[in-house]
Amino acid sequence: MSPLSFLRSAFMPVAFSFALVTAVVSASMPAQAANEDPAAEKFVGEISTQAISIISDKSLSRPDREAAFGKLLDGSADMQRIAAFCLGQYRSLPTEAQKNEYLGLVRNFVVKVYVTRLSDYHDEKLQITGSQAKGANQAIVTSQINFTNGRQPVQVTWWLVKNNGEYKIFDVNVVGIWLAQEQRSAFTSVISNHNGDFSALLSHLNTQIADADAGKLPPTAAGAAQ
Amino acid sequence: MTLLTRMANLGVKAAAFGLILVLAACATRPDPANKVAVQAYEETNDPAEPLNRYFFELNRFFDIILIKPVATWYQGVVPGFARNGVRHFLDNLDSPVILANDSLQGEWDRAGVTVSRFGINTTVGVLGLFDPATGWGYPQHREDFGQTLAVWGSGEGPYIFLPILGPSNPRDLTGFVVDDFFDPLTYIYWNGPYTVPVTRFVVNGIDVRSRNLDTLDQIERTSVDYYATVRSLYRQTRANEISNGKSTNENLPDIDNLNFDTNEPQAVAPKK
Repeated sequence: MSPLSFLRSAFMPVAFSFALVTAVVSASMPAQAANEDPAAEKFVGEISTQAISIISDKSLSRPDREAAFGKLLDGSADMQRIAAFCLGQYRSLPTEAQKNEYLGLVRNFVVKVYVTRLSDYHDEKLQITGSQAKGANQAIVTSQINFTNGRQPVQVTWWLVKNNGEYKIFDVNVVGIWLAQEQRSAFTSVISNHNGDFSALLSHLNTQIADADAGKLPPTAAGAAQ
Repeated sequence: MTLLTRMANLGVKAAAFGLILVLAACATRPDPANKVAVQAYEETNDPAEPLNRYFFELNRFFDIILIKPVATWYQGVVPGFARNGVRHFLDNLDSPVILANDSLQGEWDRAGVTVSRFGINTTVGVLGLFDPATGWGYPQHREDFGQTLAVWGSGEGPYIFLPILGPSNPRDLTGFVVDDFFDPLTYIYWNGPYTVPVTRFVVNGIDVRSRNLDTLDQIERTSVDYYATVRSLYRQTRANEISNGKSTNENLPDIDNLNFDTNEPQAVAPKK
């Protein structure tokens, strides 16, 4: 056996496995890419940019900021579906009139709560890190908020669902917490603890919104957050 | 210990256990005919809710009169670098427990990170007061035996809220006890003095509370039901920790046809 052919036979398995790995990897690439959802990523990119600019705008008063955020929410979130999800097993409990009142209250409640909670993220950048189509009508978009002050990035996952062919936000996960899931736990608990009385939830929501209007929520202002 | 004190001790324990059973039995199990209420009750998975709420309010009371003021003072008076030193030191002390659980879960890469962190931070980091390891590519992570049990396939069981210790469940409470046996300090201070473990517990509590002053305040004021919100946050946080932050989206409920008139999907975290 010549030195050359010895080398060739010795490295044959190595070369073969290398070729195999390359083939497998390149075959799996398009599959992965096909599951990505650029439209969903674009949607999340636009919405998050607008949300951060509303929260960071120091010239806005609290009511103005809530109005701007509410408008953004109306155009980008599937409020009907979120509101239904938050009622859990009690979804068919409200009368038509109660349902309409509930929908209005949930919308205002969400605006007030998240304008407050999001104030921590003013002046930051949201970076889209990936996406995945989920069935025909849903998509999951992963992203992270990078902080300029050296704080660890915060992972944010967006759950989108198509409504009349357009993506809408269904739920948002911040560091492992699904926000609609959290509200569902609180909403159903209020109803359960009032022996299935739906109006108890309505009055709780009314109280929360009134408290927020009376200035009992922590300050939101862009400058006030640490 | 005399026989008498031993018996008294046993009696107290039995009485406490009995009280828990009685109160747990008092939990408002809904009328079986009311299907919606029964389903909601099962999704909540909190059979001892009245007792839990009692302890929740008790803890809140102690928080308001003692823990929160001390934590606020601690945050205001002690400079940031000193507080970070305390945090790093306490985290470094947890390394053996984290290593044991990394290993029990077969997470060898993470076990390696834990060993490297302990080595670097104990030496270069001056007995753990600093955390140079994070900057060198060994970021911090946490593990506990509750998570290990979950990885092994154990369900969480019903929610419980404990005095002082806060939210838990039988799985995590078991983990909390077992973790003590992975901790070398438990054996070093087996026969006392207890000042060291007690100080460690108290300082850790104050530090954790001081780091969550704004967050908890915000959650309390933006919740329609603070107790239920904390319950959901605890469960979701644990699920995220168990999956090491790599939660798959396969367990999400089916919401394709969800509206006010269709069938209800299950909650995110399926109960076992």
